[in-house]
Amino acid sequence: MREQRRKDAVWRFLTYTFVLTATVVMLVPLYWMVVAASLPQELFIEFPPRLYPGTSFFENFTALQERANFVRSIGNSVFIAVVYTVISILLCSMAGFAFAKYEFRFKEPIFYVILATLVLPIQLLVIPLFLMMSQIGWTDTFRAIILPWLANPIGIFLMRQNMQSIPDALLESARMDGATEFQLFYRIALPAMRSSVAALAIILFLFQWDLFLYPLVILEDAANYTIPVALAGLEGTQRVYYDQIMVATSLAIIPLAILFLFLQKQFVSGILAGSLKE
Amino acid sequence: MSGITLTDLTKVYDSGAESVVAVEDLSLSIEDGEFLVLVGPSGCGKSTTLRCIAGLEDVTEGSIQFGEQTVTDYSASERDIAMVFQNYALYPHMTVRQNIGFGLKLSTSLPSAEIDQKVDAVAGMLGITELLDDKPKELSGGQQQRVALGRAIVREPSAFLMDEPLSNLDAKLRAEMRTELQELQANLGVTTIYVTHDQTEAMAMGDRIAVMNGGVLQQVGPPEDLYRHPVNEFVADFIGSPSINLLDATVQSGTLSGPGGFTYTLDDSGSIEGYERVRVGVRPEDITLVDDGENTAIVNVVEPMGNENFCYMELGDVEITARVLPSHRPAAGDAVPFSFPEEAVYLFDPDTGEALKTKTDEATDVAISA
Repeated sequence: MREQRRKDAVWRFLTYTFVLTATVVMLVPLYWMVVAASLPQELFIEFPPRLYPGTSFFENFTALQERANFVRSIGNSVFIAVVYTVISILLCSMAGFAFAKYEFRFKEPIFYVILATLVLPIQLLVIPLFLMMSQIGWTDTFRAIILPWLANPIGIFLMRQNMQSIPDALLESARMDGATEFQLFYRIALPAMRSSVAALAIILFLFQWDLFLYPLVILEDAANYTIPVALAGLEGTQRVYYDQIMVATSLAIIPLAILFLFLQKQFVSGILAGSLKE
Repeated sequence: MSGITLTDLTKVYDSGAESVVAVEDLSLSIEDGEFLVLVGPSGCGKSTTLRCIAGLEDVTEGSIQFGEQTVTDYSASERDIAMVFQNYALYPHMTVRQNIGFGLKLSTSLPSAEIDQKVDAVAGMLGITELLDDKPKELSGGQQQRVALGRAIVREPSAFLMDEPLSNLDAKLRAEMRTELQELQANLGVTTIYVTHDQTEAMAMGDRIAVMNGGVLQQVGPPEDLYRHPVNEFVADFIGSPSINLLDATVQSGTLSGPGGFTYTLDDSGSIEGYERVRVGVRPEDITLVDDGENTAIVNVVEPMGNENFCYMELGDVEITARVLPSHRPAAGDAVPFSFPEEAVYLFDPDTGEALKTKTDEATDVAISA
């Protein structure tokens, strides 16, 4: 008993130490980012570095706005990511539902072909997609950024796996209650999958939020730039505006933090869904 | 309300190279307001039959009629029937009220105030009014069961289909719900088909019982009929608990000889004329332990039930069971003589299992196993 308790205590100590270290390692750059955003450029390169915030945040921010209208880029990114996430969730969960709960010809092969597209890197798709978009006159539009990634293979895979856990009897019961096939999906399956949908929302949102190369190729007008593209523009050829970059990145994580706070509870249970017997 | 008629119903599952016949040529007619129990061992096709009636499975051949209307090609929602599933299948994200009202909301144009009224009435009937705002996961098994019933009742369907609805409950609750279900069905007068693998449940609940085996209907009839006059060995063996004692015997001029030196002389051997071998069946309650008798068995175990004892004995290589008075409690290893009346003897064809003779006594004073 005693031996066991001591063992447990040691393990707990080691686990907490590890988790704490990991947390510090992850938080330090974030903290430094915020501190640096509030320092004038000359203090930024000081050594040893200053570890407490300065007072130049708003000056840096004004300079950033004058140079790049970064607030607009945040707006663009939020708009694109939200529209993309909503439509993609709908498509991915419908596809996942079909793969999980219906029988049709070539179901397995089609599913594996969709999965196989995961191995194609975005870099490979950028040129053909750009050619396609310019042919239909969509360059420099948001829809060109949103459309190609709507049917997301990871999303389809995730939703298929989770939809499989919906008992058939639940759907049959709804069928006997008079539900149409589409009602089965949006009144029974989708609400029952709330936590998976939350997890998927974060994955999809982050995917679109981080997309860099493709928007860089498609978008021309600086007013349309998304955050990653605008950030890249801050690295001038003559000089790198670290202070402004730090302000920009500090601002850029705010929408993500809000999203995660809202969906955190569902996200965690969605990631764990199916791994634990209830 | 309407009766249900199945004509030559056949269901084949075809999975490429292999095809499995789940239900074969099933013809059955269920009267308006009747409580019919479909019973049989696992995989006998009873659930498949129910699902065909529900419209959840396509029928390979044959037809299904509700009253005068042929519904074979109708979808589940067009059939106006309600089903209670084994695991209740409650919608996890909806409250009890929404669960019960869901069918009305989808399949009727009733205003929501009226739906609420109906839900309240049904909840009152089932005693779950105070649970209406709870989610299914907050309910106990018995409460979930009631909600599932409520969902079926509220739609006032022309028939109820129930697929082992009590099998997830503990024994005591199951017995309670059994009675409650019967009362409910009697009050509502709705045609009900009830699937179970539990013959006790079947005996206790059904107006009539349909016994299935290997996708084939064996016999349909009132519980007592099946118990006393089974058409074959399978039905005799399946109905009754503890089950009937069965042994192989050879026939020689009206005398049966079996394992462990078993002999029994029939006064009337007309039913087995021409047979050299038969299967002999005797119900446990028909066996009495006597002081002196032709046949003797060795006691294995005695299970006291309080009001009676089950005495498991060995007769050669066959185990037989006697249901005896609580005062009879032989020790393990004892050799006990036993006897039974000829009226209580069942005889079956050894090859086809067909019944040659069933009980001929007038309704005995022995309580029928239920």
